[in-house]
Amino acid sequence: MTAAERPILPKLVGERIKRREDPRLITGHATYVDDLKLPGLLHLAFKRSDSAHGVIKNIDTSAAEQMPGVELVMTGKQLAEILGPMPIGTPFPSPDHYAIATDRVRYVGEPVAVVVAADRYLARDAADAIEVDIEELPAVVDPEKAMQGEPAAVHEGFENNLAVPYVPGGTGVDPATMEVDNSALDKAFAEADVNISQRMTNQRLAPNAMEPRGVVAHWEPGKEQITIWSGTQNPHILKTMIAAQLGVGQHQVRAIAPEVGGGFGCKINIYGEEYTAAAISRKLGAPVKWIEDRSEAFMATTHGRDILAYVDLAAKRDGTVTALKLRLIADVGAYNMLLTAAVPTLTMLMLNGTYDIPVVRAELTEVFTNKTPTDAYRGAGRPEATYFVERAFDMLAHELGMDPADVRRKNFIKKDAFPYTTQMGAIYDSGDYETALDRALQNAGWEQLKQERDQARAEGRIVGLGLAYYVEVCGLGPSASLPTGGWEHAGVTIERDGRITATTGSSPHGQGNETTFAQMLAEQFGVAFDDVTILHGDTGVVKQGIGTFGSRSQAVGGTVLMNAGEKVKKKMAKFAAAMLDANEDDLVFENGMISVKGSPGSGKTFAEVASFAYVPVPLPPGVEPGLSDEAFWEPENNTYPFGCHIVMMEIDRETGEPRLTKVVAVDDAGTIINPMIVDGQIHGGLAQGIGQAMIEEVVYDEDGQLVTGSFMDYAIPRADDLPWFEMDNTVTTTPVNPMGAKGVGEAGTLGSTPAVVNAAVDALSPFGVKHVDMMLRPEKLWRLMQGGGA
Amino acid sequence: MEISGEYHFDAPRSAVWAALLDPDALQAAMPGCERFEETGPDAYDITLRVGISAIKGTYEGTVKVTERSPEDSYRLSVDGGGKPGKVQGTALMQLTEDGGGTRVAYSGDIKAQGAIARLGSRLLGGSAKMLIGQFFKEMDKQVKQRAA
Amino acid sequence: MSEKATVSITVNGKVHEEEVEPRLLLVHFLREHLGLTGTHVGCDTSQCGACTVHIDGASAKSCTVFAAQADGSEVTTIEGVGSQDNLHPMQEGFWEEHGLQCGYCTPGMIMSAINLLNENPKPTEKEIREGIAGNLCRCTGYQHIVKAVQYAAEKGVVR
Repeated sequence: MTAAERPILPKLVGERIKRREDPRLITGHATYVDDLKLPGLLHLAFKRSDSAHGVIKNIDTSAAEQMPGVELVMTGKQLAEILGPMPIGTPFPSPDHYAIATDRVRYVGEPVAVVVAADRYLARDAADAIEVDIEELPAVVDPEKAMQGEPAAVHEGFENNLAVPYVPGGTGVDPATMEVDNSALDKAFAEADVNISQRMTNQRLAPNAMEPRGVVAHWEPGKEQITIWSGTQNPHILKTMIAAQLGVGQHQVRAIAPEVGGGFGCKINIYGEEYTAAAISRKLGAPVKWIEDRSEAFMATTHGRDILAYVDLAAKRDGTVTALKLRLIADVGAYNMLLTAAVPTLTMLMLNGTYDIPVVRAELTEVFTNKTPTDAYRGAGRPEATYFVERAFDMLAHELGMDPADVRRKNFIKKDAFPYTTQMGAIYDSGDYETALDRALQNAGWEQLKQERDQARAEGRIVGLGLAYYVEVCGLGPSASLPTGGWEHAGVTIERDGRITATTGSSPHGQGNETTFAQMLAEQFGVAFDDVTILHGDTGVVKQGIGTFGSRSQAVGGTVLMNAGEKVKKKMAKFAAAMLDANEDDLVFENGMISVKGSPGSGKTFAEVASFAYVPVPLPPGVEPGLSDEAFWEPENNTYPFGCHIVMMEIDRETGEPRLTKVVAVDDAGTIINPMIVDGQIHGGLAQGIGQAMIEEVVYDEDGQLVTGSFMDYAIPRADDLPWFEMDNTVTTTPVNPMGAKGVGEAGTLGSTPAVVNAAVDALSPFGVKHVDMMLRPEKLWRLMQGGGA
Repeated sequence: MEISGEYHFDAPRSAVWAALLDPDALQAAMPGCERFEETGPDAYDITLRVGISAIKGTYEGTVKVTERSPEDSYRLSVDGGGKPGKVQGTALMQLTEDGGGTRVAYSGDIKAQGAIARLGSRLLGGSAKMLIGQFFKEMDKQVKQRAA
Repeated sequence: MSEKATVSITVNGKVHEEEVEPRLLLVHFLREHLGLTGTHVGCDTSQCGACTVHIDGASAKSCTVFAAQADGSEVTTIEGVGSQDNLHPMQEGFWEEHGLQCGYCTPGMIMSAINLLNENPKPTEKEIREGIAGNLCRCTGYQHIVKAVQYAAEKGVVR
């Protein structure tokens, strides 16, 4: 085909390109962890504690050991001989946490023994046959009582159950010494026209990725190497941690994230089951598999949120907010996991919201209780911050009789004030909050909605409008902000046939990186989308990486991919220049050709240049053979995407059942590579944010028993729980990375939750309701309408 | 979880008291009772096969009668465990004259652990009420048989 | 342990005779015995629908059916719906409209959605949402799934 006959390749970046991943997923040919089969594969099952808190007196494994097909039974004490306590990723002092409890159990579902058997049914039978004798201790369930040391100590050496005793931040706090000066804070509250004061909870949630966790570990005695397949968001971190825990070199570990069925933060942590599988595979020299049941997941996979706040806001009568103070208490459950202690610090960091508030103070305490440990869950700390701030702003609007949009507009950080350093120390990169607000108000028909609401009220219906604005911290981040390292890695190779193969350390689990990254590289090189392949998730193929969390894939993983591509492109230009007898700076890459600027017919195809690069005769001076390079990159700062969510709600007067009648979202994630995928990310976030507001809540009883232990008692949104989402976006690019992309994975969960609760409170305001804690259980709303407390 | 309720017997207090504390009548009235062995005064080892909400299972446990105040009140404690988890319950049983018959009022609480707590807690109250209802109905039969 | 029983189940048009334990779930029969791993397990209380297949033409959650109960039945799994070269209109719809992200719920969702259109070829948005309410998806917020079903309805789905 001559250059003239070659089709003009379509523009790719910014276009709605169908996903590369989908054909295998829609035909049932994708390979998740549970789909893996290896010869001689053995299966693990864990015996878990039914007690929330107690001393292990005895474990009788004799019956289990004698059951057919059982290879091995190990208690926590036996496993502790080959596996030390698990590492965490935060610098706070932390109690020892063994993969399987050794002497005490501290939450319902904590493993007490593990069985290895020939198939999963036999393993489960044998685990059920283990008899555990536990001497009960009082369960620590209420975090505020726990802080007084009541009714028991979860861990020795952590007085009053304080995991993180007291971290102050914001105005008047010296970050170096942690010394606190209250003068500005006290003055602001003393001089305020209006004070808002409210205790609010951001309740505990179960992440519930549809694929439960799972692991296959295969230690090969001859090679002294282990391959571990896991449903993880970060295979390279898994590799590092497994090597450290097994006491082997990193070269002896290969970690693979195959197809991963959603993560939402709960698959960042490296879990006891993964370490146990690795240690047992090594002990037996055989491959082992463990797959989590859903009812196990409710107990054994980290939970999210669970932060309680005492919120105080000071304002002038015109709506100007002069101070904000939050006392945060995080119930972190029984142990510190990888990022447990860090998540509530992100709540602190984001307490300025989108507002130019002169005085912002936060004080954080993290408390151990006898519950499943918490860790990241979609948004991880930022939805909590947004919720507290946006509820407080709505309460202020209500108090002053102002339009909620006007209160926000009055306090926005102005467009020309960026980069803006907040009182909490965040440096917001860029923003144009008013434009997105105006767009949302316009798309929703805000003024008309208000009239509709008032009309409905006049007819005796219970209707409310809710608006919330958010800013989040994404694109994590410089290494100073991440214990794992805040960079990402990419490799780009032009194959000998001219096709491009790239590797990325951003290991996706539904985000569509194989598509978006191929769009970017194809456009960078001027080749067809189908000629670019993105590899990920295998540390044997992808040399280095961090992983997918904190909405960082595009902002960090995307940037480093372009950097690696640029290096290879420059080298490719040298080969092409030699072939074309041209200056490398005069070349253009387009339509699968490399040509001299101004004479498109004169060029060489990608395949021709690649072929020459791998057999370069003669080798151009100053160039090495081959076309492959890699890059590391970390941003200097995080990115701060933002947006506005508006909802309308009607509550059934007879039953208290809330129903959303409108959801409008305007989000600004900076530059967008694939708007279809971005919409999908926001849709999912909206659903989870609405789910938190309306139907999701992890509940423990007073004995520390988990009573929402299955989908029968823990609801996640179903298709008929949600209305049509009306989507739009503005584009404010970030100077932090060359593409200007900010990130979008978590955004939907931030604005939607407070918007829904704001709508509920607005709907119930004729009943004198000023606040209601989530979730919006119909019974709770019904009681409020009867004049009772929630 | 707290439970309370009452049941009316058309029989004098002495007859109801005698039946409620008779091992044979107890065994007959306990839903799904497969084994009932006296291990000491007012103490029994039992095997029950019952379903609590969706979870069916066999429970091994003990039954104890304490705080006996004849024909007036006693405390009944049941403690059992099986594959689906553990259940502990204790109730104060109070007998009073009621017209020509006897009213038995019970109040106490139930604690559950394991799958019963996680999967069945929503329905535990209902299941307990149903099982207690079965117990009294059967006990009523026993009282009537004894009178006959 | 109970005696094994021989079952004969036609899966995606092919007859399989296998010895199974009475307690073996159909989903494990499909996944472990036949290697058809497109059907997934997402819960253990039959709430999530990830395991949805068609038994004798109607959708069923294969985690609530014992393999022995399916003896003599015709079962269709996602692998029998269409191939990458010859996609079923519903699969096409999911691809065109971005009706999936992580893909874990997708096979079950597609099986339910096909069943829906078999019963109601031109559903309203509300009917689609109600029709797939037995299948949980944590990624998409369902909007693009609704569009995928609308796409297939537009094209006209035949079984």
